[in-house]
Formats: sequence, structure tokens, C-alpha cells
Amino acid sequence: MTTVMIQEARGRVTVGSFSQMPDAAAAAAPSSESAEAALAFLTEMSPDLRGAAVLGPEGEVLAATGEEPERWGEDAAALLAAADAAEEAPVEQVHIATEQGEVFAIRHEGLAAVAVTERFALASLLLFDMRSMLRQLGKGQH
Amino acid sequence: MQKPHRILLERVSAYADEAAAFMRRRRVARRPFARLYYAGGRSADHAQDSTAGAELFVAAGRLIEVAGPKKGARG
Repeated sequence: MTTVMIQEARGRVTVGSFSQMPDAAAAAAPSSESAEAALAFLTEMSPDLRGAAVLGPEGEVLAATGEEPERWGEDAAALLAAADAAEEAPVEQVHIATEQGEVFAIRHEGLAAVAVTERFALASLLLFDMRSMLRQLGKGQH
Repeated sequence: MQKPHRILLERVSAYADEAAAFMRRRRVARRPFARLYYAGGRSADHAQDSTAGAELFVAAGRLIEVAGPKKGARG
């Protein structure tokens, strides 16, 4: 009798939990405050970072370093568009190394992040940090 | 006979020298590149003189301009 009641209760709780769990794609964009906090953390973690921006699902700038967030939005959109056009497929990550610096871009859970670093930055580490940042923003943990 | 910690230190120093030499060569020999990563782990390189590569480098150049120099850098 007790076992049956526990099973019934467990079933109700499980259904409730899943119905409350937001779908990754349907989740609302994180707030600017949380994006700024995440970006500040990334900047602190990456000594080679010159600047970065976090973009929302519609390409809007949620947070950016410096004083020109609009330019970050426009130029990041141009970069991602050029990257998508290269092989007619959506890219997940971009890494461009030039003589003047390196550019990284990553898409994750509907969000995107772009970063500019000094030359010879540790690419895998930075991309890992950027992906972690977007994952936590997507989960609303910042 | 050398003490064990001396051997260990020499070994570590040798590895550090190797790593430093590798990084030095990398700095000299590395050329600009544009690398794109797709779902499933596939990646593709685009040369600077290709159409797609040129667009990527132009877009990257704009972002580098927006970011500006590193804080604390001179010039």
C-alpha cells in the first residue's frame, strides 16, 4: 500500500519537474546584467583578452567590453554571416589568427560570443571558457 | 652518482627548454589562418586569398579594430 502511494507521488513529481523544465531553444534570453557579469568573469579569467561581446538569440548585444556595443553587434554579425556563407552551413566555432590579433566566435544554445585576443592565445582554453560562459548563461546561472 | 632530485630537475628543465623552443618556432613560422568548426567536430581552413577567407579576414579585422589594443599596452 505504502509502496503504491510512493510510486504515485513519484510519478506526479516527475511529470511536474519535466513540465517546469524549460526547453533550451525556447528559453528566454539572459538579462544584460547576467551577460555583463559573465563577460567580466571571462575577462578576468583570460589575460590575453582584448575585448569580447555576448549576443542574444536575435543577434542583439547583451554585453560588450569597451564603449561601442553597437559596433560589436554589427561586426560580429558580419563575421558569423561570412563564416556561415563559407560552406553554406552554420558554424559552431570560428578561429581567425591574424598578425594583429586573434578572433574567436562560438555559438551555443541560441547564444553567441565573440572575443578578440592577443596573438598566440591558448585557443582551446579560451573556447572552453566561452562555451562554459554561454552554457551557464543559457541555464540562467550567472 | 647524482642525487635523484638533481636528475628530476634536469629532466624538467629539458622539457621546459623543448617547450620554449617549440613556442619560439611557432611564433616565427605561424601564418594567418581562418578555421571554421562545424557540428560533429568537422573543421575547414580557408586561405586568405580565397573568397570566403578574404571575407573572414575583413570581418575579423573590424572586430580587432573595435576591441582596440590590450589594456595597459603602449602606443
